[in-house]
Amino acid sequence: MRLSRRMRLGLLAVGLVCVIGAAGVLAVLFGVFQPSVVSDAVNQPLTPAEMAQLVPRGRYLTLAADCAACHTAPGGAPYAGGLGFALPVGTLYATNISPDPTYGIGQWSRADFQHAMRDGIGPGHSYLFPAMPYVSYRQMSEGDVDAVYAYLMTRQPIHQASPRDSFPLPYMRLGMAFWNLINLPSRGFVTDAALSPTINRGRYLVDALGHCGECHTPRDISMGMIPGRYLQGATIEGVDAPDITPAGLARLGFDAPTLAQFMRAGLGPQGVTTFSMYEVIEHSTRYLTPADAEAMADYLMQGAPPPVVVTVGAVTPGTEHGRQSYVAVCAGCHGLNGVGVPHVAPAMRTNATLRLPSDRNLMRIMSDGLPAQSFPDGEAMQPMPGFAHLLTHQELVDLAAYLRSTWGGHPPH
Amino acid sequence: MTIPHRPMSLTVNGKPVGPIDVPNDMMMLDFLHDYLNLTGSRFGCGQGICHACTIILDDPVEGAVEMRTCVTGAHFFAEKRVRTIEGHATRDAKGDILQLTPVQQAFIEHFAFQCGYCTPGFVTGTQVLIERLRKTPIARADVEKTIEQALAPHICRCTGYVRYYEAIRAVILSTPGLVSG
Repeated sequence: MRLSRRMRLGLLAVGLVCVIGAAGVLAVLFGVFQPSVVSDAVNQPLTPAEMAQLVPRGRYLTLAADCAACHTAPGGAPYAGGLGFALPVGTLYATNISPDPTYGIGQWSRADFQHAMRDGIGPGHSYLFPAMPYVSYRQMSEGDVDAVYAYLMTRQPIHQASPRDSFPLPYMRLGMAFWNLINLPSRGFVTDAALSPTINRGRYLVDALGHCGECHTPRDISMGMIPGRYLQGATIEGVDAPDITPAGLARLGFDAPTLAQFMRAGLGPQGVTTFSMYEVIEHSTRYLTPADAEAMADYLMQGAPPPVVVTVGAVTPGTEHGRQSYVAVCAGCHGLNGVGVPHVAPAMRTNATLRLPSDRNLMRIMSDGLPAQSFPDGEAMQPMPGFAHLLTHQELVDLAAYLRSTWGGHPPH
Repeated sequence: MTIPHRPMSLTVNGKPVGPIDVPNDMMMLDFLHDYLNLTGSRFGCGQGICHACTIILDDPVEGAVEMRTCVTGAHFFAEKRVRTIEGHATRDAKGDILQLTPVQQAFIEHFAFQCGYCTPGFVTGTQVLIERLRKTPIARADVEKTIEQALAPHICRCTGYVRYYEAIRAVILSTPGLVSG
């Protein structure tokens, strides 16, 4: 069979497209289009003296970056990994980042660590999953990443393998090459000359180390953070991570000084930190220097309106039923007038959870309760029991409506 | 100015009570003490930690549930059935005790309590545990762990936990149907 010239040309074109396409896919997989933010200087190992000098700074930065939140499982050895993340496709486990040569990062070079932290690519060109917030850590300075590396290498090596992820497809890591193409910023942190050094420091702490956006910035269909909705709040693990834009924080009753205090104390007139944010305080922000906490707060509250003061809403016929439930099962600890009891139960009058746009967090807390919490400086709150088995769903809904309209500034429904 | 109040009815230890006017914000413990003269439930910490004030709520769905009366309003119990410490033992028509429950008897035989202030709470907590095990028995190997989990919220300032827990274990092991295997 003879093919016409046109058909031969057509086949050739299709073949060419396939070859270019395949080359493109390979190029993506080998990271050709993913610019590294790591300089060549890191190929030179740090001397033992340099490493030793970096350790104290590394310790502070490791706390500020909250590495332990994921890499230390509850009750587990420090930095030995093992905390599971249940994702729709399977469970992913945090890795062992202690300096164990077999199961940890003991064999990692300075360059290996830099590329993992800031490019999301581990040794052997293995792509990290973005559950590891390398999109945020990409903004860390090279010197800070070196310091974290130096500190982690001084930790106790834990000879313990992390569980393998239970993802159904073996090559999902390769897919991260394409994910990075869409979601990984091309550059690291750029100092904004228009802002003061304090505000720049705050922005660095919020965006790079604190990786606040990983929970507080909503994600698009690819699960990448949406830059246009930076820190506007998102739903994660079934609860709302609040809007922490300046206006959002003001709505919750914060100004910069109270926010700085709240991040180090874990509680305040706005209530107690709950869900994952409690662990953030526990493992990370409580250790911030006052200056750093203030810098973060100053950055987050830039140009914010004054903190919103909520006037106490009157009990209406629509909220009377909720009020009765409040008196029956809440007021014993939170007070008839919502003032709370120190070291026992937080105040409701100024509680940020009641001011959130949705009642999701409130309903979850009322239904399931909260464990006992301890905070810096000996402060503590008692456990709160859940009421799902004592109140009907409608009673919980009415109670939430009463709380939100009385002390949350929401109109009664 | 009068204190806002409204009528309520409930069943206490099998007997109907009310309708009776009760202040809207009165805690259940005060209602039991001051209105019904049922003073066996103890006021301890007053903030829901020590569990000396617990009584049993007989919920139609959940079964026996422990409730802390120092932090729960009286009106929560409107139209509900409760058992206080006075309602555990069998009594005659005059109200005199005919027979203690196995839990109460075991606490005496094991010299479980010392000052006795926490005892009403411990009796209540143990009774709820026994009734739960009657519905869902546990393996023999889990008895100790189950006792510790169920009674952990109850605080004894004399620190007499060992003999309390020994007494509870004795009741569980000597009552047919609570332990499997």
